[in-house]
Amino acid sequence: MRQALCDLPGHELVKRLRRKEISAVEILESVRGRIEAVEGRAPTTEPYSAQPADLERVHAYITLSLDRARQQAEAIDRALAAGEDPGPLAGVPLAVKDIFCVRGTRSTAASRILQDFISPYSATPVARLEQAGALTIGKVNLDEFTFGSSNESSAFLPPPGNPWDPRRVPGGSSGGSAAAVAAGEATISLGTDTSGSIRQPAAYCGVVGLKPTYGRVSRYGLIAFASSLDCPGPVTRDVTDAALALKVMAGPDPRDATAANLPVPEALGDLDQSAPKLRIGLSPDYFRLQYPEPSTGGLSERPVDPEIEAAVRRAADLLSDAGHTIVENVPMPNTRYGVPAYFVISRVEAASNLHRYDGVKYGYRYPGEVADLRELYRRTRGVGFGLQPKLRILMGMYVSGEEYEKDYYQRALRVRTLIRRDFERAFDPHGDFRLDCLLTPTTPSTAFEIGALYGDTVSMQYVDLLTVPADHAGVPAVSIPAGLDGRGLPIGIQFIGPDFSEVRMLQAARAFEQATEGDEWRRIQPRVVAAASAGV
Amino acid sequence: MTDFEIIVGLETHIQLNTRSKIFCSCKADSWGDPPNTNICPVCTGLPGVLPVLNRTVVEKAVLLAVAMHAESVQPISYFARKNYFYPDLPKGYQISQYDEPLARGGYLDVPMPDGAVRRVTIQKLHLEEDAGKTVRAKGRRLIDFNRCGVPLIEMVTGPDLRSADEAAQYLIRLRQLLRWLEISEADMEKGHLRCDANVSIRPMGLNYLNPKTEIKNVNSIDAVRQAIQTEVERQKREVSAGRPIEAWTLEWDEDLGALHKMRSKETEADYRYFREPDLLPLLVDSGMRKRILGAMVELPLERRARFVMQYELPEYDAEILTEERSLSEYFEATLTARPGEAKTISNWMMNDVMRMLRERSVTASRLRLRPEHLAAIIGMVEGKLITTNTGKELLEKVEESGRAPADIVAAEGLSQVSDDSRLRSLAEEVVAESPDQLKAYRNGKTSLIGWFVGQVMRKTGGKAEPQRTRAILEDLLSE
Repeated sequence: MRQALCDLPGHELVKRLRRKEISAVEILESVRGRIEAVEGRAPTTEPYSAQPADLERVHAYITLSLDRARQQAEAIDRALAAGEDPGPLAGVPLAVKDIFCVRGTRSTAASRILQDFISPYSATPVARLEQAGALTIGKVNLDEFTFGSSNESSAFLPPPGNPWDPRRVPGGSSGGSAAAVAAGEATISLGTDTSGSIRQPAAYCGVVGLKPTYGRVSRYGLIAFASSLDCPGPVTRDVTDAALALKVMAGPDPRDATAANLPVPEALGDLDQSAPKLRIGLSPDYFRLQYPEPSTGGLSERPVDPEIEAAVRRAADLLSDAGHTIVENVPMPNTRYGVPAYFVISRVEAASNLHRYDGVKYGYRYPGEVADLRELYRRTRGVGFGLQPKLRILMGMYVSGEEYEKDYYQRALRVRTLIRRDFERAFDPHGDFRLDCLLTPTTPSTAFEIGALYGDTVSMQYVDLLTVPADHAGVPAVSIPAGLDGRGLPIGIQFIGPDFSEVRMLQAARAFEQATEGDEWRRIQPRVVAAASAGV
Repeated sequence: MTDFEIIVGLETHIQLNTRSKIFCSCKADSWGDPPNTNICPVCTGLPGVLPVLNRTVVEKAVLLAVAMHAESVQPISYFARKNYFYPDLPKGYQISQYDEPLARGGYLDVPMPDGAVRRVTIQKLHLEEDAGKTVRAKGRRLIDFNRCGVPLIEMVTGPDLRSADEAAQYLIRLRQLLRWLEISEADMEKGHLRCDANVSIRPMGLNYLNPKTEIKNVNSIDAVRQAIQTEVERQKREVSAGRPIEAWTLEWDEDLGALHKMRSKETEADYRYFREPDLLPLLVDSGMRKRILGAMVELPLERRARFVMQYELPEYDAEILTEERSLSEYFEATLTARPGEAKTISNWMMNDVMRMLRERSVTASRLRLRPEHLAAIIGMVEGKLITTNTGKELLEKVEESGRAPADIVAAEGLSQVSDDSRLRSLAEEVVAESPDQLKAYRNGKTSLIGWFVGQVMRKTGGKAEPQRTRAILEDLLSE
């Protein structure tokens, strides 16, 4: 079967483009055709009621910028014709999560309060991807201000659907990113991960999601949720593309004091060269979910979905067969506290980060009569923010209040340190385990149905139980597809490495990819793609 | 009536004179610029922006901390977010240091006009960003973001000052120090140096602290003195009438010369401080500290004392000459060229050079009349090559032209006439031409000697050596 250009990975497109077998404009037209076939009606902030057709469509984009992309594509074709180097991502269609500022475009954060905000500047990772030749197709949907794991909290509805089954969520908060890449509406996407927001939707949609080390990629231009956790990273079709995209967007940035002053490893450009033999760990704490019962406060436990555990164990066997060492029973005892600590830390930072949306300078301002400044604030924020920002502001204000701060915020910070120590022990080159990376499930289950969890904030948060520890610790992690469950839904497995070990971690992921190249599930397309390819 | 002791503590905000703001590259000083012209996405708090610390701000703060004898300049300090809503605070939080400030402890010894020295302790010194300005006009609130992100140092004194005058003296010395270190223009009228005063009183001889009131919006040293004095009088009246002092916040109304109550009872808002996650811990390691302190100079009060000790200058001269750093450097540079003549140089500077500075509103370092020029002029006067008057005129001529004094003297023939025979013949001419005056002199009106000297001066264009001329005339007239 001949694949459409829009379904190929980016490195393949760049190769063909450089050989002049295809043009950037042809790539763009392929993507445009796919968008027309699968996207459905454009999401808006108008009152929403679901139509039957909505449950067949992807709705990945808040804003399309195909005209802008067309100009970029033509410039690349001209550069190629003139014999110039058009860049390492030349002609690769890019979907930007609408939490990044892109100069001259609407940057909404999927919130009513920024629905008409036009940014006067571009985020550093976006600027670097565009500089490398990527074509910016548009801005994709997300949970409002990234607050969620399903994209249902977006102010722009209909919400994105999972391309494997549009009645199910694509995950979140980078749901639009994962859905767009899975559906061939973009080849790569720029997402953000605060508790799993790149990896969880990547797992649900059967694509690759890379959360780099905190500080590897500049946050400048990323509309902040929880500044000490937020991490920009790519969503792609395969591991090679993830490495390529990271190579382009990583590196020091004079506009971000927390961006690491480290060179970007050249090896990201060629993972297959000199792939070393690795020590890869499995932890029992990643095969079970432990969480406090809201009623009793005691710890409850249930296993992750058996099909998902089986996928991880099979991956371990395949990697072992390929000559890597598997280390079992690595204790990661503080994994269970990841979500509660995250609840506190992220909300304190979020409440503060949301203070600037006050109707004074930009964005939505309540248009009616107000008695005084306080009423202007109250009404602007009351109408402008959806449910999730309001909940997070309330909780953030509560746990950072002078009388509670020690019991909640300071305590959560100590827990965060303990979680970090789990990783330090596992990765310590002179310790008991000496791991190059951990291999774990990405999520406890596969994609759930739209509406199944929404409103149950606590359950929704436990979707992140296996991803949030890496955010707390700041270490890099990647989710890659590892098969389909009994319902035909994608399963993701996760590799987690020590600080700035992206090359080794991605080499481990690439080794699994190579070992499963011939697997039958790799031939199966998401339902909406299959339907589009069949000309439906 | 009870005698009261006055207790004053000052909270000062010092605007640093860095070229750019504390967290972005916008111009820091917007004095005279139209509103909202020195702004960018960072200082106006657009979505997605991040602060990046200006290292020069840290260097200036470390200099001040050391000059204030800080007990510790912290090797690691932190920034925090102070969260509150106000339209001219674009992020909804101010980035400030809180629980881990750049420096703790310290003091400034402030000499008082009566000769006593008051040690004013410093509790802490921290860095923060300024907010914007809200202007009310015709029922509308207008916001100018130019000032957002201007670097400030906050420095709080202990309750150590004992009068309104002492508070004023502290501010005068602090202003002198800030300018001396070249870290702030320290102009209170322009808001470079801002001050809130905490005031309480207690019966003389007791040592507890009564509730204090806080006075805000005092924009000059005179206003600080007046506002504190006014508040002290009010508190004395209240206490004498048996009424308690409540912890109010007061606002000084400059035009009316009166205090208004802003808030009763200090209800400290909950600012929900937490560490600023967008900035790294602020590290001042020993290497950096050493490099910064390489730029440290002798401080004004130390230099004043040295001038008295080393050059045997009167206290008064030493005070005037060390009021401002470049003036003191000018003095010492001149002294290098004419060692041992400190008092002579001091006289020339206090009488003439400082007048030139005032007339031109410049500091000594900006004069075209360099210290070597001044030394040369003094040398010519002392060596009787030119008269004192010629010397004084030369100061202006050098300043106007930038030419060396000796060149001007040569070109304009300003050398003093001190040749006895020439002076004697001129004096004889004058006496011959003035029979009436001669008669009067000989009849006892000897005060006319000055008139005769003046006549000789006129004939020489002011170049006659005055002492010798006088001696010759006295000789002639008494014959």
